[in-house]
Amino acid sequence: MSLNKNMRVMIVDDYNTMLRILRNLLRQLDFNNVDEATNGQEALDKLHHTPADLIISDWNMAPMTGLDLLKSVRGNANLRKTPFIMVTAESKTENVIAAKQAGVSNYIVKPFNAETLRAKITSVFPGA
Amino acid sequence: MTAASNDSVVGLQIDRAQDYLDRLIRELHALGDEKKQPLVTVLEYLAHHIRVTREEIGALKLGDGGDSLTSTADELEEVVAETARAANEIMEAAEVVEAVAAGTDPQTRNALQAATTRIYEASAFQDITGQRITKVVRAFQHIEMRIEALAQACGEALSQSGSREASKGDAALLNGPQLSRTAATQSEIDSLFESLDTAS
Repeated sequence: MSLNKNMRVMIVDDYNTMLRILRNLLRQLDFNNVDEATNGQEALDKLHHTPADLIISDWNMAPMTGLDLLKSVRGNANLRKTPFIMVTAESKTENVIAAKQAGVSNYIVKPFNAETLRAKITSVFPGA
Repeated sequence: MTAASNDSVVGLQIDRAQDYLDRLIRELHALGDEKKQPLVTVLEYLAHHIRVTREEIGALKLGDGGDSLTSTADELEEVVAETARAANEIMEAAEVVEAVAAGTDPQTRNALQAATTRIYEASAFQDITGQRITKVVRAFQHIEMRIEALAQACGEALSQSGSREASKGDAALLNGPQLSRTAATQSEIDSLFESLDTAS
């Protein structure tokens, strides 16, 4: 079974540059159904309206961080099973542990490359 | 006790210590006993250093010149904005290359797409450096807040007297790139230039 490239992907980052990088890399990986938000709260509002098949989020944002977004997603019956990849410069062990405990599906440390992004997306859809 | 009230207490103690030293020195001078001279010299040395230190703290505090801590933090924030602008320009160009590549033969298309992928990946430098610089800016802001409190505790008059001397002559013109919120636009410069032509 191959990965559904038409899946809806929500990307979340407070740096417009990073949103643009993610969008371009996803396009090169043939993911064209991409929505974006600049913080956790904005993403959550959009997700309540239209759920995504995959969430790729930064951690350090205001007013709602990526970790809080992750916890909100995991605490919501409609969203809780959505694969969630954290893409962040926060690379301390305690960060990874906290994200894992909150239910993150995978974790990418910035700076990253297209191959890492592709591999992590594939990994959160087992059997695809 | 809060940090601010701590600084006020320190300020009062510094004031009292300096007053006490000055009074002691005057009284010892009045005694006229030469055996006390070494002690007087030491006390004068201490009093001088307290005064100089207070002035230096005051000099750190302010300055609407180019090298205050506030200005340094602003300059760093400008670096973040400028690199973001440049990164977006670079990516915009890469997107054009990618669009053009779509109409080329497979070999050329693959080569160009690989190149644009590398450009997108490398553009992440802006995010990383932006976050690092933001941390430095926050540290500057914290230091500035503490110096402000310390300078107030040491006495406003002293802090003002200790401000750095402004540059003179041509050196005063060397301010480097202006911050975008205060910089004149090219059209404003053109208008000014033309108005000077008219005046001369």
